[in-house]
Amino acid sequence: MSKDVIFEVRELVKDFSGVRAVDRVSLEVFRGEALFIVGPSGSGKSTFLRCLNLLEKPDAGEIFFHGKALGKREKELNAYREKVGMVFQHFNLFPHLTIRKNITLSPVLTGRMSQDEADAEAEKLLERIGLASKADAYPPQLSGGQKQRVAIVRSLAMRPEVLLFDEPTSALDPEMVGEVLALMKELAQDGMTMVVVTHEIGFACEVANRMVFMDHGRIAEIGTPDEMVNRSANPRVREFFSKLLAPR
Amino acid sequence: MDFRKCSGFFLFAGIILLALLLPGCGREVQKTKLRMVTNATFPPYETIRNGRIVGIDPDIMQEFCKRNGFELDIENMEFGALIAAVQSGKADVAASGITVTEDRKKKIDFSIPYTSAHQLVTIRKNSGILANHELKGLKIGVQEGTTGDVYVKENLSEPQRYKDAATAIQALLTGKVDAVVLDSDPSHVFVRKNPSLHLLPEPLVTENYAFAVSKDRPDLLMTLNSSLQEMIADGTLQQIIERNKKENDTSDTGKAGQTGVWERLKEDLRVNFVAESRYLYLLRGFVITLLIALLSVLIGIMIGFVVAVIRSTADQTGKFQLLNLICKVYLTVIRGTPVVVQLLIIYFVIFGAVDINKIVVAVAAFGLNSGAYVAEIIRSGIMSIDRGQLEAGRSLGLSYSRTMCWIILPQALKNVLPALGNEFIVLLKETSISGYIALEDLTKGGDIIRSQTYNAFMPLIAVALIYLAVVMLFSKLLAVLEGRLKKNE
Repeated sequence: MSKDVIFEVRELVKDFSGVRAVDRVSLEVFRGEALFIVGPSGSGKSTFLRCLNLLEKPDAGEIFFHGKALGKREKELNAYREKVGMVFQHFNLFPHLTIRKNITLSPVLTGRMSQDEADAEAEKLLERIGLASKADAYPPQLSGGQKQRVAIVRSLAMRPEVLLFDEPTSALDPEMVGEVLALMKELAQDGMTMVVVTHEIGFACEVANRMVFMDHGRIAEIGTPDEMVNRSANPRVREFFSKLLAPR
Repeated sequence: MDFRKCSGFFLFAGIILLALLLPGCGREVQKTKLRMVTNATFPPYETIRNGRIVGIDPDIMQEFCKRNGFELDIENMEFGALIAAVQSGKADVAASGITVTEDRKKKIDFSIPYTSAHQLVTIRKNSGILANHELKGLKIGVQEGTTGDVYVKENLSEPQRYKDAATAIQALLTGKVDAVVLDSDPSHVFVRKNPSLHLLPEPLVTENYAFAVSKDRPDLLMTLNSSLQEMIADGTLQQIIERNKKENDTSDTGKAGQTGVWERLKEDLRVNFVAESRYLYLLRGFVITLLIALLSVLIGIMIGFVVAVIRSTADQTGKFQLLNLICKVYLTVIRGTPVVVQLLIIYFVIFGAVDINKIVVAVAAFGLNSGAYVAEIIRSGIMSIDRGQLEAGRSLGLSYSRTMCWIILPQALKNVLPALGNEFIVLLKETSISGYIALEDLTKGGDIIRSQTYNAFMPLIAVALIYLAVVMLFSKLLAVLEGRLKKNE
């Protein structure tokens, strides 16, 4: 395969006070793919994702970004994070800033754009998600779905190479899940590299290029949605999907 | 009244000890300036009139300077601090109606006595007490730390100690004590103003007043003694004393004999605030109180801010361990000791040998004190912010400090605004101890009026009302500000 590797993770380990949350995980992420990580609760999906952004410090193993091992220095770390966006379960918008300022704060502070450029960019992004009228509103005035969509474009404003999604719809009311998934699908179709941890298996099957099944901190299986759902030899994987995709 | 023999030094004991350990005590004799310290709440010996310290002691020292080519420089401070000031070299001479005692002789040298005074017993007319020997076993009020205090304790019974003479008299009038022992001059004023009181004929004890000079200054003591002898011989001394006593009698301390409640109230208001422009003490004190509180809270917020950020950063990232330790020590020491002790240590020890504006000392002390509380308030605010905010900031490529600055702190400060406002209110009232370093703040202003009019009620109520008004006004402002900030939610 001559695919362009963005991440290469080797033997990553993360312990939480003696409990191994991530157990020697190795994985490659290719440019332009939508990689979905699924698995039962407590299988270490979120922790693994947070390690990719170094929000959790791995206890062992290595992460290569474009073939280079991640530096430990604060400056390198900040530069790295500018290229790797993150979307959180609880949105984590900044409640004291307007929607526009939420989006422009980081591009301006890190010197990527002038305030004017950032404002124009914010307008474009808000236009795209149909929230241009909310630019001067504050986060508490938005619905959950709106907040998450703003959080996604806030990450996009940094023009990242990769977007990490940590259960982006888990904290939403059911009727708001759709609008967020639609935006994510759009991004995937535009060729954005995405690593998504989710419980929305139907959505994952529809959008994912590849799926990773994690169990007990390890990768149990990697494959296309079709391979994973229909043709897995692993009983744990089969059990998981049959429960979730059983006709109701 | 007379704070004289005074074992009431206990508050200062540790500080004096520390002050003595510091170098720079033995200053050179200044040919031009003579630095005198006094506690100007003791008419006719020393009092403040129209903003100036006047009385027998200042007049004698003025005469002494004139005869010996010095320039007199008078500083007003707590009575309990006078001896320490002379001992540490902060002042050349203490002249404040100081009674000669054996205890004090161990610490400083006394000049020859320049006058003597009596302690008199004030009682209610209907009490049936006729002579001093009947006092045994009765409840006796005194002014804390005075000769009367010591005498009653050693010869009669454990006295009821009051901070000032007017309060002791108030206690006598309301039946809380059976008799009050005070210096003869104020005793006469009180009896004149309160027809229900009178004096026992015999003085309880008689004492000598002298000036205090450092033991390192035998030259100054000799000059002082020979000048005093001259003044006694040529009658100057007697003139000074009589002139001041007469002036004191004409000082407006209120007329007796109002019968109606309304007339009494009107006369009390006039005497305490209008006569001799006494309201100016409250006005000037109010300005100083406000100045100290505002500057202190600014310094407190700056210190608190820095300490809180260092502490939170150390907790969250493991950096700044040494600074964190220093901050912890600072918090422990400041929060573990009374602010009045901190104020006195800063005044006598840290700025012990330096001539420095007392407002600066007070602002430093209160600012440093407030900083510790503000630090913990702000830290609690930082900790109240969801960790997701920090993660969101970091994941957008912002450094820790930028995330702190732009995301965490603005939210934290908004959350702790009510607590910070409360801290300012507490601080404003705490500054009322500024009188300990003889700063004439609002509370001290009330004290000065009381020492002149011998009225406990009016000046205290006025001071209380002013504090209350400021606090209420500030609370209102704070509520408006909070309301504005809440609009965004």
